[in-house]
Amino acid sequence: MFRHRRRGEVPSLNTSSTADISFMLLIFFLVTSSMDAGKGLKRQLPPPPQDQEQVADILDSDIMTVELSAEGELTLDGKTITLQQLQQEVRQFAAVNPKHRVVAVKASPRTKYNDYFLLQNALVAAYRPLKCPPRISEVIEEEGGQP
Amino acid sequence: MMRRHFRRPDHSVPELNMASLPDLIFTVLFFFMIVTHMRDVEKRVQYQVPAGTEVEKAQHKSSVVHIYIGQPTDGSTDDYCIQLNNQIATTAEIARFIETERRRMSPEDQERLTVSIEADRDVPMSIINDVKQALRKSYALNVSYAATEEGASLVKE
Repeated sequence: MFRHRRRGEVPSLNTSSTADISFMLLIFFLVTSSMDAGKGLKRQLPPPPQDQEQVADILDSDIMTVELSAEGELTLDGKTITLQQLQQEVRQFAAVNPKHRVVAVKASPRTKYNDYFLLQNALVAAYRPLKCPPRISEVIEEEGGQP
Repeated sequence: MMRRHFRRPDHSVPELNMASLPDLIFTVLFFFMIVTHMRDVEKRVQYQVPAGTEVEKAQHKSSVVHIYIGQPTDGSTDDYCIQLNNQIATTAEIARFIETERRRMSPEDQERLTVSIEADRDVPMSIINDVKQALRKSYALNVSYAATEEGASLVKE
């Protein structure tokens, strides 16, 4: 183990602990960091209501009303439907005039966030091929059934 | 003949050259330092985000503000609470929270300010709606509903 150095040679630095030190740093970063980059469904909220707001004139035929009950049941114009059916219906509906047609979403205050999220997800998916941001008007009904 | 030629004079095991090991570990270390980001807040609420097909990655980390909604981890109540920064808060405090976060940001980040709503699947919509109305009032109009990505799309193209 102990070797005799020849005279005039520079003694070498013992670097065997560098690996241990960098291992410790590596483990520190592994523990304190998280890999998951924040992913999410992007949506745009409307600006706050103004005092003198002009009520936009929208034809009844340009509005599609989707209701989401507290139990997560979807209703489109009075008929119960699934998310897949809704996505196709919305795509057909919006394809005609995506800049003017509006999807109105009504939800109950007791609706679970997951059901609401899946509905938003389906609407964004329906508008994706139209290359136009979804026009969605949202209403959360007050407790007690009053709109 | 050959055997004798290659035989070592003493019976010691040949030493492995470890000189490149620190370099290798440093490379891995730098990789992790670059691809990861530090946990900045301690979660005081527990939540499970929904899964969707249309989720996108957040573009600029420096312009994202997080709002967590879930049940408190200390078990004080079963009600759903809102967490801003490191503490449980109410919807009335959102406006001030957005304002302080805005002031901390650079002008470019203020422009593209996005609020990431990280809410549990079972949170009632009344709370989500209150948060959204508060965000509208403080003109934080870009929101992102935090979610995990789900493989298959609902409707095939």
